[in-house]
Amino acid sequence: MAAQLQFRDVTLGYDRHPAVHHLNGEVAPGALLAIVGPNGAGKSTLFRGIVGILKPLAGAILTGGLDIRDIAYLPQTVDIDRSFPISVFDFVGTGLWRQVGFFGGIGKAAREKVARALASVGLSGFENRAIGTLSGGQMQRMLFARVLLQDARLIVLDEPFNAVDAKTSADLLTLIKRWHGEKRTVLAALHDMDLVRASFPETLLLARGEVAWGATGEVLTVENLMEARRMCEAFDDSAAACAVDDAASKAA
Amino acid sequence: MIYDALIAPFVEFEFMRRALAAAVALSLGGAPIGVFLMLRRMSLVGDAMAHAILPGAAIGFLLSGLNLFAMTVGGLIAGFTVAILAGVVARTTDLKEDASLATFYLASLALGVTIVSIKGTNIDLLHVLFGNILAMDDPTLLVVAFNATVTLVMLAVIYRPLVIESVDPLFLRTVSRAGAPAHLAFLALVVVNLVNGFQALGTLLAVGLMILPAGIARFWSRDITGMICIAVVSAIASGYLGLVLSFQTRVPSGPAIILVATVLYVGSVLFGNVRGVIRQLFPGRHLEA
Amino acid sequence: MCTKRHFLLWLICLAQPIFVAPVQAQQPLKVVASFSILGDFVKNIGGVRVEVTTLVGPDGDVHVYAPAPADARKVADAKLLVINGLGLEGWLPRLLQASGGKAPTVTATEGIAPLKLGSDADPHAWQSVANAKKYVANIRDGLIAADPADAEVFRNNATAYLEKLDALDGEVRAAIKQIPAGRRKVISTHDAFGYFASAYGIRFIAPLGVSTESEASARDIAGIIAQIRGEKIPAVFLEKMIDPRLMQRISAETGAKVGGTLYSDSLTDEKGDAPTYIDMVRHNIRALTSALAN
Repeated sequence: MAAQLQFRDVTLGYDRHPAVHHLNGEVAPGALLAIVGPNGAGKSTLFRGIVGILKPLAGAILTGGLDIRDIAYLPQTVDIDRSFPISVFDFVGTGLWRQVGFFGGIGKAAREKVARALASVGLSGFENRAIGTLSGGQMQRMLFARVLLQDARLIVLDEPFNAVDAKTSADLLTLIKRWHGEKRTVLAALHDMDLVRASFPETLLLARGEVAWGATGEVLTVENLMEARRMCEAFDDSAAACAVDDAASKAA
Repeated sequence: MIYDALIAPFVEFEFMRRALAAAVALSLGGAPIGVFLMLRRMSLVGDAMAHAILPGAAIGFLLSGLNLFAMTVGGLIAGFTVAILAGVVARTTDLKEDASLATFYLASLALGVTIVSIKGTNIDLLHVLFGNILAMDDPTLLVVAFNATVTLVMLAVIYRPLVIESVDPLFLRTVSRAGAPAHLAFLALVVVNLVNGFQALGTLLAVGLMILPAGIARFWSRDITGMICIAVVSAIASGYLGLVLSFQTRVPSGPAIILVATVLYVGSVLFGNVRGVIRQLFPGRHLEA
Repeated sequence: MCTKRHFLLWLICLAQPIFVAPVQAQQPLKVVASFSILGDFVKNIGGVRVEVTTLVGPDGDVHVYAPAPADARKVADAKLLVINGLGLEGWLPRLLQASGGKAPTVTATEGIAPLKLGSDADPHAWQSVANAKKYVANIRDGLIAADPADAEVFRNNATAYLEKLDALDGEVRAAIKQIPAGRRKVISTHDAFGYFASAYGIRFIAPLGVSTESEASARDIAGIIAQIRGEKIPAVFLEKMIDPRLMQRISAETGAKVGGTLYSDSLTDEKGDAPTYIDMVRHNIRALTSALAN
């Protein structure tokens, strides 16, 4: 079966400092993958690379022929202008971009989809509220509703349970499981190990580079976690150019 | 009596009818643009653009003398260049829109002043280029009307991506490649409206009827579509009442229209439904749920 | 012998000034005029004995001129400064201060009783040829005071030029006689023809104020249109520096003829219609008669 995502010796970073260093691997279609690691491990950076916002410093990320419209992304810090005069309904409705494009009308069918999406995240009754009046948790749920509507093959969630209460977490987790059931590929960056162990069959433990990748039970061992903790958070200002790259080009 | 004050001037004098037509056209095209400018925190773009077009107008002047057409075309080219360069730099680097535009318009202004001084004459080029709503001849009216039509059509096309880009730019980047073209198209519309507005009506009116109605609308609607409608209506009202004011008193036409708009604005700040001052001071009893 | 050689040496030394003085006296007097019309007068009176530099050149706007550093240098080097006065050159005092020039100043309007324009004096006194003659007299006297050696030249030039101005005045009056009395009124954008109006009997009605800055109100425009319609004013004239579209609008709505350009504040360059003062007045009067006479 062709991989949904392929990391080919990819290095991603800022200002030539690598935040993700020489990552190799594959994600199968329909996988439910948790990405875990200490702060600064490169999880958000990796996601940015996957959705195409950040170009790799070296190597490549292949998305198995997926168009950008087939990927839904929930970023960690949302750069949304909360003072913009738009209602929750219209905001979530932008998730239908792929079907509706520039001009398509939001017909009756589309309206019902939006209403159902809002109901799935528990935001019925919020349709006409301005987005600036939502709490943090409600905002997160609204973004989830938009991801729902995007109907994407690959869903990338960066710390989706930040700032939500336990009940909401449970609800959103149900949604994620439903997506998994629908054979969509879901990647989620998470901090809560218990949640990962309980709900995610596959885990990538990331500390700039791969520490371990595989079945969750085998990855989240004490030894692996300790090794991940040894990763140094700060970039090294006096680092030399990467020797591995030189070796590769010498070999070629 | 009311007829004399409100209707008679327009019946009796053709220049008044033309001025009203120009004000309506400007409102239809400029007010929606103004709403987006305000929401994207680009309200001072108008003034920046008034200076940025100088080198283009100067080159037009160098090539063809005091030929309004040449100077306007030159101004448009300079305006586009500045707007697009600023937009591209803002998108591809860390520099934000306002800083990017500021740097380019200042550079453009300096270039313009240099070009003018090479020629040696001290004619205030911009003064020549900027028009007057009371002097609407046929070509100018056509240009203003054409402007409004093109603006409305273009806005209808780029409406959705423009809204999404304004509220959640990252999202648009991840689902569509339409963000950058929509943004640049918007900037182009801004430039066209401003330059043609300057040439027909002067800076005060061209910029004023974009920004003030947007400010007014902010206090009466929570939804962008509503805001656009209110902006257009208040712009037209300001144009009409301003012309009446300029007819009855000695206030020049441009400032009169803007003064009326200002009165409407102050009224909105105080009494507006959405976060007006009076509303905030006296919110009324809270609701049950 | 020693004393003889010394004597010759002394003779030669004493004689030097006699050779040098005429050379120095040959150098023309450096004069700076504030704007093109004054510059023209100075050239006509001074002839080859003056070297005239003009600050506000042809087609420039002397009301709102912004001096450049080069102008400060010109003023500093000048031996005589010729200005209009009556508030025309608002930018001049600062320039004088900046240049530190100590040349004497001739105010060309000295001795002329100014007309009023609003609450201020109307500075456009040169528009009446009789006043222009006073300008010439003042400038001649100023030149003589600065360079007494050439007094004869200046007097002769001035007299010849004054005769030309007399002839010009006659031309203007004759031309105006050709215009029927009921048609001696025009609309012009520039309120600078007060002296012309008062000297020659043509009424100038202007929609805007004196300088290039003020903006019209709808009431003003309506007033002008009503006035043109009411008094049957035959022609409107454009001013080079103001938006001509306003003029066209008024003309279209009243049927008044648009009569070409009248030059008021500045001469044109050599290729233009009004490179000298006399050309300027002739051009203006021709434009007026052709628009009004029939």
